[in-house]
Amino acid sequence: MKYVPVKHAAVGLAFAAGLIVGTPSLAQTTQTMLNATRAGDTYRVYVANEYNADITVIDATTDAVIGTIPISGRPGLVRPRGMALSPDGTIIYVSVSDFHPEFEVTEDKIVAIDVRTNQILQEFRAGGNPERVAISPDGKQVWASLEALAQGGGYDIATGTQFVQFRVGIEAEGVAVSPDGKWVYITAEATHTTTVYDVENKRILKHILVGNRPRAVAFSLDGTKAYVSAEIGGTISVIDVTKNHTLVASINLGLDSRPVELVVDPAGKYVYVAGGGTSAIYVIDTATNKVAQTIKEKMGRRPWGVTVTLDGKKVYTANGLSDSVSVIDPECMCVIKNIAVGRGAHSVQIGRIPAGA
Amino acid sequence: MNILIAHLRRALAVAAVVMGAVLAPASAQELPMFDKPVHIGVLLPELKPEAGPFWAEIAKAAREGTIATEEDFAFNAELVGMDFKVLTETPVRGDVAAAAQRLVDAGAFAIMGGYTNAETRALGAWAEQKGIPFLNIGASADILRNEQCFATTFHLEPSAAMYLDSIVGWYVRSGLRQWYFVVEDSDEGRAQYERVRWSMNERHFGAREVGRMYLAPGRAGGANLAAAVRRANADVVILLQSAADQLVALKDLETGGVPGTVQVTGYPHTEAQTRAFYEASRAVAPTLGVGHRAAAWEATIDAYGAREYNARYRERWGVPMEATAWAIYHAMRAFYEAAFFNQGKTDPKSVMNYMMNPGSVFDLHKGVATSFRPWDRQQRQSLYLIKVNSADRATSKLAQALLVGELPAIYMPGTDLVERLDQIGDLANRSRCRKPTPLR
Repeated sequence: MKYVPVKHAAVGLAFAAGLIVGTPSLAQTTQTMLNATRAGDTYRVYVANEYNADITVIDATTDAVIGTIPISGRPGLVRPRGMALSPDGTIIYVSVSDFHPEFEVTEDKIVAIDVRTNQILQEFRAGGNPERVAISPDGKQVWASLEALAQGGGYDIATGTQFVQFRVGIEAEGVAVSPDGKWVYITAEATHTTTVYDVENKRILKHILVGNRPRAVAFSLDGTKAYVSAEIGGTISVIDVTKNHTLVASINLGLDSRPVELVVDPAGKYVYVAGGGTSAIYVIDTATNKVAQTIKEKMGRRPWGVTVTLDGKKVYTANGLSDSVSVIDPECMCVIKNIAVGRGAHSVQIGRIPAGA
Repeated sequence: MNILIAHLRRALAVAAVVMGAVLAPASAQELPMFDKPVHIGVLLPELKPEAGPFWAEIAKAAREGTIATEEDFAFNAELVGMDFKVLTETPVRGDVAAAAQRLVDAGAFAIMGGYTNAETRALGAWAEQKGIPFLNIGASADILRNEQCFATTFHLEPSAAMYLDSIVGWYVRSGLRQWYFVVEDSDEGRAQYERVRWSMNERHFGAREVGRMYLAPGRAGGANLAAAVRRANADVVILLQSAADQLVALKDLETGGVPGTVQVTGYPHTEAQTRAFYEASRAVAPTLGVGHRAAAWEATIDAYGAREYNARYRERWGVPMEATAWAIYHAMRAFYEAAFFNQGKTDPKSVMNYMMNPGSVFDLHKGVATSFRPWDRQQRQSLYLIKVNSADRATSKLAQALLVGELPAIYMPGTDLVERLDQIGDLANRSRCRKPTPLR
């Protein structure tokens, strides 16, 4: 299966000529990424379509769909879900599994996609229904939540082999690596915990009780805070990484807020939280730990994934029930565009094409 | 051995090989301290050969559900250093109170059980007298939430009012206007009939009753029933009878020439929510027996984390999760979390305070936070509409039925969650329960 570009002459030509100067934008806000960006870089938005078994590619400048990357020839049976980005933004990692978590299948894997060519670079086995992935700041390791096993897994990207597997709670889901690479956080939906794995000492440091049905976890850019969403609890737990990973606040979004994925903006001012079944985005002011805005108007249905550009000027959401991506302008805190993508949009990330590449 | 435990052991072995060292466990002092035992008592159904095959299904689901649930929560408890145990007892000659007392004597701080209305009534009275929190997992009678409510009894099993409001809502919205009732001639049958009529009159307008037949328990309507339904020109028949009697009525209607365009459904007693019942329904009435049914749980739900939850169970036992097993899991979860989110406190008042606290939320794998209604301690929740599959589709135990609907619809942005869930069941103004929960 090959990347299928959309026949769109103007955009295609522009890319070919290197004419598009995109908004400086990347999804995972690490200092490494910020340092890697250069004038003339261009950007692409990647959307994992859970029910289509493919990835939609969007030009981040025009917000037009430019192509589709097939992940499997078995749509409806194989599901790409969580995604993560290499530190330089040039590789997208996708966790792939099937719809039968009771079986370990060959589709349980992690797929690496080259942002420059939209071709699959590498695939490696990650048994146990990998749901979400995260990349170490040095770009050498990928970490996955293995949902069916109640385990976390670490994989060496160079060799594609698993080097560690460790116990977390039941229905493991969210995973994040701290910006300094020292900690891996993994949430567990049915256990209400976030497990802290000490990478250097190869040990589980602790399990932190968070809200009811924790879904996703994200670190602040400086690595001092981690935010964990709890879908049923309707809360965002704030963990102080510097104080022995202690829960320091619980932000109540409301009983029926159903928060799922979340992302901290590059300036550290806001946390954008996808409101899942409420079809809303909650914007939390990190200074006050209060909801600064709730964006509902024109939002696609069931936003599950959310990411923000590196300059903080655009927020993208992956909307699973409307098969769309909503684009939010943080200036007005409003939806400025909805883009049709594949069925069951689950996650969204932004890849970078270095200038001249 | 639970699959998670199996995975854990295998994972540890793999990790040891991969890393050349066994992973160190989390250090104890960094975990939250749960210094008191958290032991929960489960009453299992008494095996009664005379009770028939559906009771046997309930008993099997209860036993398997208890084991699977204990394995999940033991896994969770070990993660945080909690001394967690599930204690089980089976009543002898129907004496559920004595069995419950044995569980408390063995250290259980809370009890779950109640597979019939009579059992739940007896356990409720015992629990109230002893001051023990009790969770009803199988009795739906409204009277247990009203005149015969007990102060320390909580209900995970949906109430009759919730089931009946859902059935009326679905069928009225489907355009079915001419309703015929087959009512068991008993207090419970008559109470269900009165409640469904109330729902038709006060909540879901547009349908009318075109006929009704009372039948004593165990008595068949025979050809008279089918003739009456035909004469009434009914487009839906509601069987407010026991599971076994519903099958008899279905057969009578089918053999009596009631056209296949008529929808037939029945009251969803837990026995009538089993795969075995669906199979029997299709067997006795291949046309009328493959209609829609209300259910508290359905093994084909794949949203809200239920895909993984259902899959874990199927992997563990090789069969779909029945509603009884689901109820056991979530009753256990409610008690477990009352301790887990409350510094391990298991004294009755702390547990009941947690359960009744408006800030406490429960996750029934139904996609939204649920709570106990303060006036009758009934767990709010959505219910499911399932379709019994026809023979060509029913190729496996799982494929006996398929999820087709949900009520209330939980995706209704902009509405209050509690009000949304309270669209089914009796609100406070109809409650006749006069026993407040003994809180601090």
